[in-house]
Amino acid sequence: MTRAWRRLGLAAALLLVGAGLAPIYVALVSSVSPEARIFAAPSLVPTAFVADHYRALFDARDFWLPIRNSLVVSGATTVLAVVAGGLCAYAIVRLRFRGKAFILAMVLAVSMFPQIAIVAPLYLVLRQVGLIDTYPGLVLPYLTFAMPLSIWLLVGFFRQLPLEIEDAALMDGATRFQALRHVVVPLALPGIAATAILTFLYCWNEFLFALSFTLGPERQTVPVAIALFRGQYQVPWGQVLAGAIVATIPVALIVLVAQRRIVQGLTAGAVKG
Amino acid sequence: MMRHRSGSPSTGSSDEARQAALFAAPALVAIAAVVAFPLVWAVWESLHRHDLRMPWLGRSFVGAANYREAFADPRFWSALGHTFGFTVGTVVLELLIGLALALALNSVRRGAGALRTAALLPWAVPTVVAALVWRFMFESPGGVVNHLLVSSGLVTSPPIWFASPWLAWVPIVLADVWKTTPFMALLLLAGLQGIDPALYQAAALDGAGPVRQMMHITLPLLRPAILAAVIFRSLDAFRVFDVVYVMTRGGPGAATEPLSLYAFSALFRDLRFGYGSAVSVIMFLVSFVLALFWLRAARYQVELS
Amino acid sequence: MPLACVTALFPGASLSRRLATLAAAAAITAGGCGGESSVPMVTISGSSVGREAELLRRQIARFEVDHAPLRVEIRPTPDAADDRHQLYVQWLNARAPIPDVLQLDIVWTAEFAAAGWILDLDRFGGSREDFFPSAIAAASWNGRTYARPWFVDVGMLYWRTDLMAAAPGTFADLDRIAARAVQDGAVPYGLVWQGARYEGLVTVFLEYLSAFGGAILDAHGRVAVDSDAAVRALTEMRTEIASKVVPADVLSWQEEQTRFAFQNGQAAFMRNWPYARTLLGDAHDSAVAGRVGVAPMPAGAGGAASGTLGGSTLAINAHSAHPDRAYALAQYLTDPRQMAERARVVGQFPPRARLYDDPAVEASLGIDPAVARRIVSGAVPRPVTPVYAELSGILQVHLHAVLSGQEEPAAGLRAAASGIRALLERSGLAGTT
Repeated sequence: MTRAWRRLGLAAALLLVGAGLAPIYVALVSSVSPEARIFAAPSLVPTAFVADHYRALFDARDFWLPIRNSLVVSGATTVLAVVAGGLCAYAIVRLRFRGKAFILAMVLAVSMFPQIAIVAPLYLVLRQVGLIDTYPGLVLPYLTFAMPLSIWLLVGFFRQLPLEIEDAALMDGATRFQALRHVVVPLALPGIAATAILTFLYCWNEFLFALSFTLGPERQTVPVAIALFRGQYQVPWGQVLAGAIVATIPVALIVLVAQRRIVQGLTAGAVKG
Repeated sequence: MMRHRSGSPSTGSSDEARQAALFAAPALVAIAAVVAFPLVWAVWESLHRHDLRMPWLGRSFVGAANYREAFADPRFWSALGHTFGFTVGTVVLELLIGLALALALNSVRRGAGALRTAALLPWAVPTVVAALVWRFMFESPGGVVNHLLVSSGLVTSPPIWFASPWLAWVPIVLADVWKTTPFMALLLLAGLQGIDPALYQAAALDGAGPVRQMMHITLPLLRPAILAAVIFRSLDAFRVFDVVYVMTRGGPGAATEPLSLYAFSALFRDLRFGYGSAVSVIMFLVSFVLALFWLRAARYQVELS
Repeated sequence: MPLACVTALFPGASLSRRLATLAAAAAITAGGCGGESSVPMVTISGSSVGREAELLRRQIARFEVDHAPLRVEIRPTPDAADDRHQLYVQWLNARAPIPDVLQLDIVWTAEFAAAGWILDLDRFGGSREDFFPSAIAAASWNGRTYARPWFVDVGMLYWRTDLMAAAPGTFADLDRIAARAVQDGAVPYGLVWQGARYEGLVTVFLEYLSAFGGAILDAHGRVAVDSDAAVRALTEMRTEIASKVVPADVLSWQEEQTRFAFQNGQAAFMRNWPYARTLLGDAHDSAVAGRVGVAPMPAGAGGAASGTLGGSTLAINAHSAHPDRAYALAQYLTDPRQMAERARVVGQFPPRARLYDDPAVEASLGIDPAVARRIVSGAVPRPVTPVYAELSGILQVHLHAVLSGQEEPAAGLRAAASGIRALLERSGLAGTT
């Protein structure tokens, strides 16, 4: 690769990445601009900074509630999906039984199909057992995508592990479960971390189920809360954008910290599979 | 390697199968409960007339009547058309831009990690946030986009994007492309990094320029990654909901309404659960056929190489 | 296990950092979980802004004192009626136990009652004798009462006292006076009413319809909106636009736009709800303060003068955990005393007949109480049917098409009638009132 091409590549990368970051920058700047100036002619560097929108977000709108709800639901779903998914993935990778390919195909199929197809029956069931607008009423539907995702990713990661240490443990008299717990999990920790991170991200960003199965601020998650912001007469853009930034901060931090793992997870499942 | 398992219980395959069942049970039961069972119920529901506003009508079996109603409704066909158009449009754009980004990132030596992190950020942003930010940028008259268009002299008066059935698609498509291109780019990048650099060196020795290298080495070898990316993305784009609901609610009128939103309105605005289930089942079947088509293409691709 | 998972999330982080994260998450979760409070609560939902909101809070405070230790929580809803309706549908369909008390638009009662979302109030006893029959009828379904009327609105005719001696009693007179006022150059518009394609248009049409002796559904519940009387009524409306007595602009106007036009002195007559009265009398913003009179809507040939009945009722969530408390609140707010206060402070008409003899209320009504009482008791309700929203939608489309010249009155009303008949048919409601 000649230097010219490499320079072109760098320029292109900077341009595209810059274009990717620009909208976030616009949102950030507007969220600290006074409401009256939000739709005025934009300048690259803002002159006036106000924290009004953020303050209103947490005082008047009690934005802690949706944040709490998102943390609880995403966290609980991630834990359940990684644990159960890990067990299942281990079985698929290490144990011999018929129907493995079928299960994998099913798992893949389930993660691909449109969520709207099961919203109606899930709603009716949840309503029947009184779980609308509750935490379990969100965690259970979230497992529809979290579980297949977790299984798929962990299968990919477990496959990469060497057999020897595990076999050594088994020869020493350990059960499968002990081998899993004491040998495989520590070895596969990076992969498990990547899976947990990705699962958490998908749960945090989920919208359709949260919109359909929650009724009010007590249980609504962050995406639903900011999508439903209503002002008296017009959309309160300052607060909406402040909410958007706050909603993005956790995932942005996760990406910053764990970029490599995320990429690993995304590509391991897709390309290898 | 010999695998003596002295000291452990007999390892007939039935034993392993039993163990496997135990391990896999929690996950598979959960999936069966929250996916398989509701799916079957949705199909059953779609064969009934179930209007939650009118409990006095009961829940009568009507066979294929809901499906007939859907196929006779022009709004259904519009929604289907919107969905296909959106899928094709966004996947093509994401593929092109994603490829460009992947090639660019691949050529960078220093700061690759930082660039990759920055590139990944739009993907991590919640779809709702992406929709709101892009809606904000395209608001008229004072949104950023309109300011730029007017001040650069491209237009005299700022267009009202969300009032036009055609223009309203622009911010929707852009928001989706913005958010998912990093995913495409990463998949393609992984594929790029799997190409043996020796091939390029050999081609360079033979006098092939960068363009020819691209056409004869990169693209062909990238085909599996491209295919994987396209399959994932097209099935994803087909079920688009978040970005349209938040940006336009399907408006103006029903001009930007995709199939998922059409089903959602039938279910949660009109409370017609029988009809809404029918539309959802249709959507599931179409995406199933789409997936089969892609899998066949993938297998064909594997046979080729 | 939880520790292992936190460890997984932050590989390489120190133990103390991991514990801190866990603790933070636990604190947020615990702090946020209110749990069942020991204070008995009742939740009410509705929309009120400004003076109305203040009044409501005051009345609720008094209720809390009278019924200690019961506390009331106000759960806000969007202002726009359609948004509020959609939110109610979402909550009630999901069988949410709160809010306990709901403020309903008067045309929603049948819909919510038939869907099983609100409670039958007859079981609580509670007399309904003092209420106007039309208000009770609008709050009932299948012979049972499902809501308590809270306040009523009636469509009324606002007229310029400086342009005429007295309010006209018939549409013929109105057209004549209005045309002359426009001719003399006193005002650019003769009469303004709400003609945008929304529910308001149906309320206006209903007034013309009744004035000419027609109805949307006849006494037997059959669709009658394509009758000769109806065609006459709609033709009258269309002629008013054609002869420029009414400006074509009204076809995109709702209540506020008509109020602005009249308030700025641009019209001789306005049809609007009572809310406009106090705003028109405010000399600060109103160019016509002190020159406005209020009268019943005029009659047409073959019919009686009548305004459309609007307003709000209070209903109880069928899944409320505390229907008794909810009923206590609803009863309190619809007490004569509270209603009188509401009439005084906000100017809203009470649905209790006896209050029209109350001298304190008399002053705030703005018109002679006997006249007011006649107007309210004679107000025409919209069809009480669970599918009213869809019915109104069908009517709106055709009314607007006729008024904007795209359809002929007879053809438009026939199309509307057949659409409504099909609606009632497929909803299993044909032949019910």
